Amino acid sequence: MNLDWLDAFLVSGLFFVVMIIGLALLLHIQLGLARIANFGVVGFWGIGMYSFGVLFVKVDWPFGDPWPFLISAAFGSVVAGLSGLLVGWLIADLDEDGVLVGTLGFATAVWILATTEQDLTGGALGMGGLRFPYDIGTVKANETLWLVLLIIVVALILYYVHRVHRAPYGRLLTAIGDNEPLARSLGKATFRTKIWLFAFASAGMGLLGAMYGVMERFLETANIGIDITLAAIVGLILGGTARVWGAVIGVAISVGVFDILVQSYLPLPRDWYSQAIPVLREAIFGAVLIIVLLFRPLGVLGDMRRDKLMRSMHGD
Amino acid sequence: MDFISNALVIGLTEHAPLVLAAMGFALLYRLTGLINVAYSETVTLGAYFGMWVNTTFDLNFYTVLLPAGVLAGLVSVGTYFVIFRPAKRRNVGTLELIIISFGLSVVLRHGLQFVFGYPVRFYDVPPPHTLFVLGVGVSTFRLLALGSVLVLALLLYWFIQKSRYGLQIRALASDEDLAQVSGIRPLFVTAMIWFIAGVAGGLAGAFYGVGSSVAPLLGWRQFLFILLVVLVGGAKNIGGVIITGIATGVALAAMTLQFGQVLYAQLALIVAFIVILKVRGRRATDLAKV
Repeated sequence: MNLDWLDAFLVSGLFFVVMIIGLALLLHIQLGLARIANFGVVGFWGIGMYSFGVLFVKVDWPFGDPWPFLISAAFGSVVAGLSGLLVGWLIADLDEDGVLVGTLGFATAVWILATTEQDLTGGALGMGGLRFPYDIGTVKANETLWLVLLIIVVALILYYVHRVHRAPYGRLLTAIGDNEPLARSLGKATFRTKIWLFAFASAGMGLLGAMYGVMERFLETANIGIDITLAAIVGLILGGTARVWGAVIGVAISVGVFDILVQSYLPLPRDWYSQAIPVLREAIFGAVLIIVLLFRPLGVLGDMRRDKLMRSMHGD
Repeated sequence: MDFISNALVIGLTEHAPLVLAAMGFALLYRLTGLINVAYSETVTLGAYFGMWVNTTFDLNFYTVLLPAGVLAGLVSVGTYFVIFRPAKRRNVGTLELIIISFGLSVVLRHGLQFVFGYPVRFYDVPPPHTLFVLGVGVSTFRLLALGSVLVLALLLYWFIQKSRYGLQIRALASDEDLAQVSGIRPLFVTAMIWFIAGVAGGLAGAFYGVGSSVAPLLGWRQFLFILLVVLVGGAKNIGGVIITGIATGVALAAMTLQFGQVLYAQLALIVAFIVILKVRGRRATDLAKV
């Protein structure tokens, strides 16, 4: 296939944007529905990426592609999911400050382990040896196919989130977010629901981390900083925490604009790209969080359709 | 015996700024009910302000402590008036306030690089003298940090428990409406709380900065430990925070000596503190008052 028309920067930029959309969608279930502020998104994403990478690189696989990838990716997702189960259990009965400490602490713990366990992860020097589970010709072709596979995975996550919104499970999560004691008094297993929510969302984040590791082919601790969490939170808040499409729209007009339009296509001085643009990007993302939550707390898309329906029924 | 004395001396002197920062954060948390993530940048800015005054006006480290603390305090008050007070007027919820403070933290951390530059900066100070305490060499800067913590702890305790303004602060924290009808000016008292917390954070930052380097992530790297110390120490009294902060410093030093790796010590502490929070269970907290 002739892919000369396709810019390599566009492929890697789109990959990052679609991956953040996936993370923001998973965060939407936690923050938007159950109102659990997961500040450790990068921790679950990172532990999935590193678990995948370590198994993929360190094991002398007796099978050919794609089995090493599939088994390693499943392993990364399971490790991330089990981490989510543990963190969920730790924070499920804590207030907002406890949740902040627990999730932030987990992300820090993952960074510490990735840095200190040099024999496994390569530490600060990083770890190479990752590759695509196929070879269809050029690097660009492999990356483009990988982007398509990621889009399929994120589309499935979007479909799942869409279903959750219309399922009793989604209404339970919303009830927990609105008034957990009331939901518990009605016999709902809120604690169990929250920890399983964390487990499944974290497994999804871990899978996205594994896919990112393949795209980068090189794992380094600089990748698992707070930037990933910030990008997912900004996208979700900007688009709207209450709406399914909020994460998609929000990430597209925040990360998409900056990482694709500004980084790749605006004719800015070359030396800006090394420091000024990344710093400005983060500063603007922070400002977006403040402005949106102060002036339009429900983001660009606003209320849930269900909320609008209820208001119209009650004549508000 | 050597191990214990080493851990005690290193823990007390090296981590004294943590206690100072935690005291300021606890004051803000106790009296406003707000988890202010941007407090980490108050610490960072204290380090930057101190470095800027030190290198621009060629003043020694001891002299720059005052402007570093005051400027950080003013920034802290500024964030209250520009961000948190309007948020309170708009009835922004607790969760959203935490996210707003996270956003403010990111803005300040990156925005300061446009003012002070991107490279890591250093204080221009002569090498500190080394004194031996229980056989362990300690720099005079670190001893000063420890001394400052002790003095500030006593001052804060006196201020909150004994002074007229301290009484007003406690009254405001207890019942805002009742405090207002009693003639307390809530705006002035609240601004004072933010200022004192900012000064404590700024001084901590200056001590962190002179001990190593001044970088945008300086405060953020300490924030989790500040938060853990305050939540585990219990923000109801400054004494609990001071004791937990000191114990944290000594534990970090002891584990670093044992493992030979500070990151393992930090990891063990994070796990231990989160388990303590879990065992303690749900804490009754008021809605954010700001």
